[in-house]
This record gives sequence, structure tokens and C-alpha cells, in this order.
Amino acid sequence: MPTPARAVLVVTLIYVFLVGVGLLESGIKVMGADTQEQLFQGVSNPIAGLFVGILGTVLVQSSSASTSVIVGLVASGALGVDAAVPMIMGANIGTTVTNTLVSLGSIRQSEDFKRAFAAATVHDFFNLMAVAILLPVELITGWLSSAAESISEELVGAAGTEWKSPIKKWVKEPVGWLKDLYSDLGLEENVLGTIMVITGIVIVLLALTFITKNMRQLVADRVERSLNAVLGTGGGSVAMLLGVIITISVQSSSITTSIMVPLAAAGVVSIHNIYPVTLGANVGTTITALLAALAASKPEALTVGIVHTLFNVSAIAILYPLKQVREIPIRLAQGLAHIAVTRQAVAIGYVVVMFIVIPLAGVAIFR
Amino acid sequence: MVMSFFRKGDGGLDTIAAHAVSMLADARHSFDLSCMAVLSGADFDAVADDVRATDGRINQAEQDLRGELVVHVSVHGSDDIGEVLGYTLLIKKIERMGDQAKNILDLAEEGVDLSGAADVEELRSIRQTISEMMGEAAELLGNHDQERADAFRDSTDTLRYNLEDRIRDCMRSDRPGHEVVPRAILFRYWKRIVANLGSVVTTATEPLQTQGYLDDGATDIDD
Repeated sequence: MPTPARAVLVVTLIYVFLVGVGLLESGIKVMGADTQEQLFQGVSNPIAGLFVGILGTVLVQSSSASTSVIVGLVASGALGVDAAVPMIMGANIGTTVTNTLVSLGSIRQSEDFKRAFAAATVHDFFNLMAVAILLPVELITGWLSSAAESISEELVGAAGTEWKSPIKKWVKEPVGWLKDLYSDLGLEENVLGTIMVITGIVIVLLALTFITKNMRQLVADRVERSLNAVLGTGGGSVAMLLGVIITISVQSSSITTSIMVPLAAAGVVSIHNIYPVTLGANVGTTITALLAALAASKPEALTVGIVHTLFNVSAIAILYPLKQVREIPIRLAQGLAHIAVTRQAVAIGYVVVMFIVIPLAGVAIFR
Repeated sequence: MVMSFFRKGDGGLDTIAAHAVSMLADARHSFDLSCMAVLSGADFDAVADDVRATDGRINQAEQDLRGELVVHVSVHGSDDIGEVLGYTLLIKKIERMGDQAKNILDLAEEGVDLSGAADVEELRSIRQTISEMMGEAAELLGNHDQERADAFRDSTDTLRYNLEDRIRDCMRSDRPGHEVVPRAILFRYWKRIVANLGSVVTTATEPLQTQGYLDDGATDIDD
């Protein structure tokens, strides 16, 4: 497909994505207040919310998708900002499963696997440490949500008001058509709401998948060129910035981090060079939730999007500047890789326990 | 460096091909200098540093290109894996040409000087032909002209057979060892370079599986 045509397709897909978020918001609003309360009662506990965020993201293999859904839910008013923040943090952990799975591809070549697994899990350990520090701080002080709320208020108005988003106007029409279509089929209240929510989630997932696929095609040569330019000369803030740019371009942190895994496996780049790219990807991926908030009518949706960005920027500010602290996720990842290379079951067990068993148990216990 | 993301420019395998061409230019430079030391009586010390530095540059370029090929596969997936593997072979062949040029220099270091030999003009003419072939190979890497590549391959085959005959003549020669052995070794290095040159050009035009072979994969032409 010619580049201009692909670019037009991507813009169209972004519009479809926003329609999906709008449909999700409208679908929840159509449901009765009791149903809404029942639906989100389980995540009122922040630890349960965290684990729901992990599980949801592991399920769709995309934090962009899960955070967009969370933004849509907040926009509907059914989910509060306080409940959404731990879910956003969980999404950050859940998204790391993709590159860890990619690293398992080289499990038969021990030295390659050791490097690949360490490069993948450094992302896990960084995000776990970030949540371990910032979730308690948020629960005690609420500073992340307060700061995000202040920014959001400056930009679009105070919480509880109606935000006249210009994008919302363009999205409203097709959402209305779909709602009318389902109503004409005889659907109403909870059933109508459920069908609208499911349609919205499917549209969000499909649109993001195709946006990522097409953007990857559009920018592949640029990504290749800049990786060659930056990684050959080392890591640091330049590599971090590159991680942000690539992730914004392809709308997926998993793509960025998964590209790095084979490079680590082949020994082309070291874990120290990959680490800042990964952190940049964490920040870059937050653009999707901010984009989703453009289709929302409540300032709270934008607040959640900003929380996602602030959380990742704060994590870097806390964990990256000091060398001793910066090295902790690297050492943990290398230690785990050292064990995993001799006992491969540990690597598989780690993925299953970390991303499925613990979150499931967590939801069961804390909901 | 990050701005390279926003700049327009070639990407992908075109960039790698361009780097391979400059690697080949370095190999030609090493070859010309080394042959000068043996055939023109050039001062060994004057050329040795240059040849070794160029060889170091070729080796570094090979490592960098391997890294770039891995980056290419990571970013683009397996769409052009055949070409990527072809380039892996190609850059190794160019690197070996650099090594063979260095080996010719080693002859000069051992005191081989054919500048006063009766057949020196003939030897210089062969050297000139090989050097020009290196230039033509670099051009062909860039433009993928199938017809020219086929003709080039034929001329490398002809020269390779000619050099094999010369090696055979040396082995059967009654002339003294100090005359025949350096020539046999020189012809052997030249033959290797010519064989690698033929393979370098065909990586761009032949299926990966049979690259570096003749008779549909039956005969190995590289040594």
C-alpha cells in the first residue's frame, strides 16, 4: 500500500478507535445505576484493581487497549479516578508479559536466552518496583491523582463538569447510529448497554491492532535507522527518548520492547542499553490513554490519562537517576535469567505465576 | 541521533548495501597497497600501517553490519530473511578479501619482491584486472543488473581458471623454489579473492541456497 494511503488509513483507524471509546462510555451510561455499581464493586479495593489491571492487560496483550478501556469506563462515571489509578498501574505491569513471552522464543540457546530473558524481565522488575513505591504513596497521599486532576482542571475544567471535547462531537454521531441500530433490534437497558460495551471493546482492540500494524509498516525504516544510530553509541536519555518516540509512533510499548529482545539475544545491544529504551516505551504508551480521553465528555477521563503519564515519568524520576537504584532492576533481571537458563521451567513458571496465578489469586482475595 | 527518526533517508537493506559497498572499497584499497608492496617494490613499512588500519576498519564494519542486520530482522520481521542471510554471507566474503589482501602484505614482509621479475608486467596486469573487478562488484551491488552480473560472474570464472592453471604450472615447474613458491602463494590468494568477488555479486541475484556453488549446488567454488 502506498505511504499516503496508509497514513490516511491510520487516521481513519484512530477515528474508529475513538468511536469505540465513545461507545464504551455510552454503553455503561445506558446500564442502570445498580448494574454499574455491581460491575465495579469488585475493583473498589485498590489491590484488586491492580490485579484486574494486570489480568486485563495480559488478556489483550496491550496496555494501550486496557488503559483506553479504563479511560472509557471513567468517562462513563461508573468508575472513579481513585479506583482507576491502581488499574492503570496494573496495566503497566501486565504489558510486560509480551516481551517476556518473546524472550522464551530463544529458550533453546542458553546464552542467547539468558541475555533475552534478562532484557525482557528488566521491564517487569522496573514496573514492579515502580508500583511497589508509588501505589502505597498514592493510597496514602493521593498525590498522583491530585496532580493529574490539577493539570486536567487547567486544561479542560473541574471534575464533575461536562467537557465539550471537539473530538467528542465528531465521535458522537456514529455512536448514536450504533445505539439506534441496537435499539431498533429491540435491545434496551442492561442488554443494550452490555452489547454497546462489548462492541466498544471489540472496536478499540481491533482499531489499536490495525493502527499498530500499519504504523509499524509506516515507520519501520525510521525505527531501524534511529535504533542503529542510537544503540551503537550507548544508552541513557537519548535511548529513553527514542523509546518514547518509537512507542508513540507505533502506539504500542510491546512492539518497542519486543523489538529489543532479539537484539539482546543476539548480543547486539546490552541490557544497559535496552533498559532506557524500555522506560521510554513506558512513557510513550501513555499517549493512547490521553488520546482516548479526547473522546470522553468528563474531565476525569483525561485525569486518568494524565495519571498514567505522571506515574511512568515519576517512576523514572525516582528509580533512574541514581546509579545504585538504577542497577537494581538490571541485577534482579540478570539474577532471574541466570537461574532460568539452568532451569528453564523457572522461566515458564515465572510467566505463569507472575502474570496469571498471582493476579487471579489477588482478585479472588481482595475483591 | 534521535532526530534520525524524523529525517528522510534510505533505510533497511539499502543502507546495509551501501555500507557493504564502502567495505568493498576498503578491501580494494588494501589489495592495491599490498600488491604494490610485492609487485612494485613499495616500502613495506610505508604501506603496512595503512593496510592493517584498513583491515581493522573492514573487520569493524563487518561487526557493525551484522548488528544492523539483526536490527533489520527485529524491526521488519522475516519478510526479507533470504536477503538478510545473503548479506550475512556477503559481508563475510568481503571481510575475507580484506584478510587475503593482508596475507599478500605478509608475503612482502617475508621479503617477497617481484618488481624485478621478468613476468612482472603480466602480474601487474592481473592485479589491475582484479582491482577493476572489485570496483565493478561494488557497482553491481548497488544496481542489481542481472545481465551485467552474469557477465561479471563469467569473467571471474575465467580468471579463476586461469589462476588455477598458473598454480598448477608452479607445482610442476622445475624452476627454483624461491621463484615458484611466492608466485604459487600469490596466485592462490588472488584466486580466493576472485572467487569471493564472484560470490559477492551473485548474492544479489542468485537464490540463497546455491550462492557460492556451481552446477546447481554441486560444486563449491569458494575456498
